[in-house]
Amino acid sequence: MISNFPPGLIMIIGALLIPFLPHIIRQIYMMVLILVSAYALTLGLGIHSKIEIMDIQFIIFQSDALTLPFAIIFHIAAILNVIYGAHEKHWNQHVAIMSYSGAAIAAVHAGDLLTLFVWWEATAFTSVFLILASKTQRSYKSAFRYILIQVGSGMFLLAGAILLMSKTGNAEFKNFDINSLYGQLIFIAFGIKAAFPLLNGWLQDSYPEASEIGTVALSTFTTKLAIFCFAKSFAGTEILIIIGAIMTFYPIFFAVIENDLRRVLTYSLNNQLGFMIVAIGIGTELAINGAVAHAFAHILYKGLLFMGMGAVLYRVGTCKASELGGLFKFMPITAICTIIGAISISAFPLFSGFVAKSLIMSALGKEGLIFVYFMLLFASAGVLHHSGIKIPFFAFFAHESGIKTKEAPLNMIIAMIIASALCILIGVFPTYFYEILPHQIQYQPYDFSHVVGQLQLLTFAAFAFICLWHFKIYPPELNSTVLNSDWIYRKMIPGILLPLLRLISDINKKTEQFIVFTFTSIKRFFSDTMIKNKVFDREVGQDTLIVVQLFIILLIFIFVWKIYL
Amino acid sequence: MKYLFEKFGKINTSVLFLCIIFLILELIGHRYGETSIEDILFFPAFFGYLSCIIIFKLGVSLRSFLMKDEDYYDK
Repeated sequence: MISNFPPGLIMIIGALLIPFLPHIIRQIYMMVLILVSAYALTLGLGIHSKIEIMDIQFIIFQSDALTLPFAIIFHIAAILNVIYGAHEKHWNQHVAIMSYSGAAIAAVHAGDLLTLFVWWEATAFTSVFLILASKTQRSYKSAFRYILIQVGSGMFLLAGAILLMSKTGNAEFKNFDINSLYGQLIFIAFGIKAAFPLLNGWLQDSYPEASEIGTVALSTFTTKLAIFCFAKSFAGTEILIIIGAIMTFYPIFFAVIENDLRRVLTYSLNNQLGFMIVAIGIGTELAINGAVAHAFAHILYKGLLFMGMGAVLYRVGTCKASELGGLFKFMPITAICTIIGAISISAFPLFSGFVAKSLIMSALGKEGLIFVYFMLLFASAGVLHHSGIKIPFFAFFAHESGIKTKEAPLNMIIAMIIASALCILIGVFPTYFYEILPHQIQYQPYDFSHVVGQLQLLTFAAFAFICLWHFKIYPPELNSTVLNSDWIYRKMIPGILLPLLRLISDINKKTEQFIVFTFTSIKRFFSDTMIKNKVFDREVGQDTLIVVQLFIILLIFIFVWKIYL
Repeated sequence: MKYLFEKFGKINTSVLFLCIIFLILELIGHRYGETSIEDILFFPAFFGYLSCIIIFKLGVSLRSFLMKDEDYYDK
């Protein structure tokens, strides 16, 4: 019975009890919920649960080769989130994280678009509380924008699903044609959550405003759910290669100038999503494996980097590069774990990023997509620059900030050590990792050319940074706001719309004044004339009224006569 | 060597030595790339170094029109 329950659903239902449990029992209870949810994964591939509501069939639990790796990593991430957030005594974020993780896990098991829509919106409504948890004015505003955009994405998905149903009679979650209208609507819905270029503003706007626990959870689920959906529905869609290549490229420049290190990580997240989108666009077995492997590895190392910065934020109260520095001696374990995350994302051999990214680069090479290949190679150097070096360097080394603090809480350290260990294990034993990928193919990332080429690329890129820093060419980090695509709806549209609305309001007010004045004048004129001529005297008034009434009745009669007869 | 360590820093010098080691490795074995351009001697090293400089230069030049006051959106 419990095994037929869709994975994730038990976590959402179980989250309702969390507020009533004491702190320690709550932590154990959340772990148990995740393990019970994970138990359903043992059922194997196929459709396991369906329900019918108003003659519409909802496939609420189906599993395939693509579902499994995402389900595994989502469960692992949920466990890491629980451990990482264990120091938080209040229940609100625990409820949000548990139900958010559950909704994302349930979403990857959806067999139809309507079920997916329910969980799609559930991820939005549960995750917004993680942004609100910061309890700052900025986070409230950001959360409002976040929920509007996320729900908007859901509306596109629903519209696409309804169109698909009207055409085919069902809304099965499968491969869609990008040339159809429903395909395009669904594509936009997924694109918003995958933070496509110009649709990415919400990501950099909201994630850094969330609590230190919240950002770790947020970085895991929403965007990776979109990647899963693209891999399932639009594998081999060529436009994704172009979109993905742009995504890998432009965020690196923004990350270079951004001062808030958690925001730097969101640009990095955007860039990494680009690698996955390119791989999905290629669509070959090797490329799809690359996209899934990258999503899997990325959840771990990006989560680890956010954990490191979250620990700094928790202890120091800021994540701004301009205000940090020299924290290594106070937070050595956090620093080492963050460095492991940084090495992993930079794709150094023996770390998870290398074994995942190699699949994508090889797929590009095999397909002869040279230009995109070099764009991604260039972006790889960029990743080293902003995530590999900038994050650990400015937080833990750089200059002496004068901040004195202590190491992160034990639970945070445990979560970071587990994530670090997984990053290394995946890098050292890629064969086991490749076994859970959707397609069984032979691939060896550790050959002489791959390893030496990658090491040269990364060490020389690192050396370039060292030269820039050592010879004081690298400018100091400044407290600032870096403009991003959210500027369009935060400044540009209000900048155009508000004066326009003010103009319309002025015109409306003046027109109203004019009409009122005209009618008052006319009224005054007639009333003066009529009163003067005694038109409203009793005898005259009654006769006039009778004549007017008769005339109106005559008019109605003629009107009806002309229309119907 | 001691002079280099003192002037350039221990970590920086270590990275420099690693760079040299990886260049020597290419001379010992046969490295090939996914594309024929990558087969050029020390190509990844040049590409990595130049990419980082270009990213830095472009990033810094973007400062002038992308970087605003911290309270830009709160005004």
